[in-house]
Amino acid sequence: MNLLLDILTTASVLFIVTAGLTMIFGVMKIVNFAHGALLTLGAYASVVVTQLKLSPWLGLPLALLAGVAAGMLIEALIVRPLYRRPLDAILATWGLGIIIGQLIIFFFGREVQFAQSPIKGALALAGTEYSAYRLALVPLALVLCAGLSFLLTGTRFGIKTRAVIMNEDLASGLGIHAGRIRFVTFSVGAALATGAGMLITPLSSVDPGMGLTWLVGAFMLVMVSGQSMWSLLLTCLVFGACQVVVSTWASPVLGSLTIPLFAAVALRIRPQGVARA
Amino acid sequence: MHKLIPLIRVGALATATVFALQAGAQSPQPIKIGVAVGLSGANSVVAPAVVQSSQYAVDEINAAGGILGRKVQLEIVDDASGAVGAQKAFDTLVFQKKVDAVIAMETSAARNAALPTITRGKVPYIYTSFYEGRSCNPWMYVNAWVPEQQVAPVVDYFSVALKAHNFFLVGNDYAFGRGMLEFTRKTIEKAGGKVVGEEYLPMDGSDWTAVLSKIRAAKADALISATAGGAPNVSLAKQLQSSGLNIPYANLAIDEGTARSMGDVAAGMYMSSSYLTTIATPENKAFIAGMTKRFGGDLKTPNELSEPQYEAFYLYKAAVEQAKSTDPALVIKALAGVSFVGPRGEIRMNKNRHTPLPMRLGRIQADGSITILQTFQGVDPGVQCPLLK
Repeated sequence: MNLLLDILTTASVLFIVTAGLTMIFGVMKIVNFAHGALLTLGAYASVVVTQLKLSPWLGLPLALLAGVAAGMLIEALIVRPLYRRPLDAILATWGLGIIIGQLIIFFFGREVQFAQSPIKGALALAGTEYSAYRLALVPLALVLCAGLSFLLTGTRFGIKTRAVIMNEDLASGLGIHAGRIRFVTFSVGAALATGAGMLITPLSSVDPGMGLTWLVGAFMLVMVSGQSMWSLLLTCLVFGACQVVVSTWASPVLGSLTIPLFAAVALRIRPQGVARA
Repeated sequence: MHKLIPLIRVGALATATVFALQAGAQSPQPIKIGVAVGLSGANSVVAPAVVQSSQYAVDEINAAGGILGRKVQLEIVDDASGAVGAQKAFDTLVFQKKVDAVIAMETSAARNAALPTITRGKVPYIYTSFYEGRSCNPWMYVNAWVPEQQVAPVVDYFSVALKAHNFFLVGNDYAFGRGMLEFTRKTIEKAGGKVVGEEYLPMDGSDWTAVLSKIRAAKADALISATAGGAPNVSLAKQLQSSGLNIPYANLAIDEGTARSMGDVAAGMYMSSSYLTTIATPENKAFIAGMTKRFGGDLKTPNELSEPQYEAFYLYKAAVEQAKSTDPALVIKALAGVSFVGPRGEIRMNKNRHTPLPMRLGRIQADGSITILQTFQGVDPGVQCPLLK
């Protein structure tokens, strides 16, 4: 039972952390190395809320707001000229990640920060105590997945987005404003990243380097899953389960190797990813 | 070109004579004490407190007439928190500034890199940082704790006062984590307890989920951790607190400052330390009051790394006074015998260049302050450097 809960909650955390990257990297094909820095930025929204002695829940809207603002700025100033130069975009976003990290150090300092958690304590569930916050992340991940999936496949905006990514010239010819679509999609992706950063603060230390530890794993998961939110959820579930099982039955040191290892194997068998049939 | 050399020689000789005359006319030369500290780099969080401790000690000693009638002069050099920087810093102190002694905390890597310079320069060195133990050099003394001293009080308190029998050990996968827990395991087994599990996470790991489930499954009744400072420490504390696991938890890698910055996440955690600001001795109260008066609003809270620095200046003073000279060989001999009663209690570095220490077992409160539950007097450092007298 405990193992099952570990698997479900780990998969939920992985999904929340990678959803923003799926928008930017999976859908828009921009290799966004600033994803880690955006996670960190969102976590610092929690720190600000804690320092202002406001309700920890307010951290989420603040993080989303900061993410949208950062996303709009980054898209307009840095990413827009680089859509046709993917290698330059890698360098630019990597550098951007460093800049965001240094700005955070400049304003908040290098040390570990304290942030209030919105949900505390444990719940008694099927004979065992389990972290209430981790449990709350499971429905949140499901709702997020359903919502984003609907946005990408069930709305006009989603159809336009996919049209722009598939064939920008043709889409423009049909009267779709490609620039605006990219602008909005990137901003949504950035806001998902900062929101995730805020959501992981109750589980993680808040320091300028915190986002970096999630970056590589997030890229692996998105590369394996492709561009669909449901396939991302499935990937997170499978890989999260592998990580938890290996950590539990073997050792956590080996467990932390499972995602990179299985991602390499999965991409060898199916280089195009799960959802790019 | 050749003709110039004698000219330079004459010039140098003349200058030297002038300096010598000046020096003779003035009060005796000050005693120079070098402090190498990480003003930049990772140690820059703790460095300001170390500098303040040193300044405060020197001010006090000078106000009371100095050492053997000579003033003490502080030479502070940045070691950039690393081995390469420490080598340069010690080189500057020993060979350029020609200090009479060095008093400095360093990381273990930096200390090992700097020790050859101390040996070559034959300068007494008091090392003021706790460390993994068994670093021996004929010119070095240590006035901080080694694992023997830090781990014993925790295991003792857990098994005697809390009646814990099944211990679970958790750490980060690196030298300090593995070393501390290996030592902890031995101490637990010696005390009659049992280690029911030992788990490590890589340094950059932040997900303790599986480890927490293992602790629960092992039915451990006490947890001891030795993680890296900072991030892993905080993520473990957060995840442990929300997991509903309610067993006594001692953290071997937490200090007072970190505990304060963690808010209620660290509440209930046990820690073991030789210095805490809440020690209720007259010496510590005078120390805190004096520091507060001297530095006012700029005061950096004294801590486990900065306070031994203060005591080391007095230990050096006592040694010089006993030797009646700053001669390095005589001072090194005298350092083993002298003692100083400071904020932590009596410090006497007479055990293989190390010192028996009063150790405090503290419990972190919800507001980040630390209540001292028990003081273990004169905890022995064990056999550290049997070949050095």
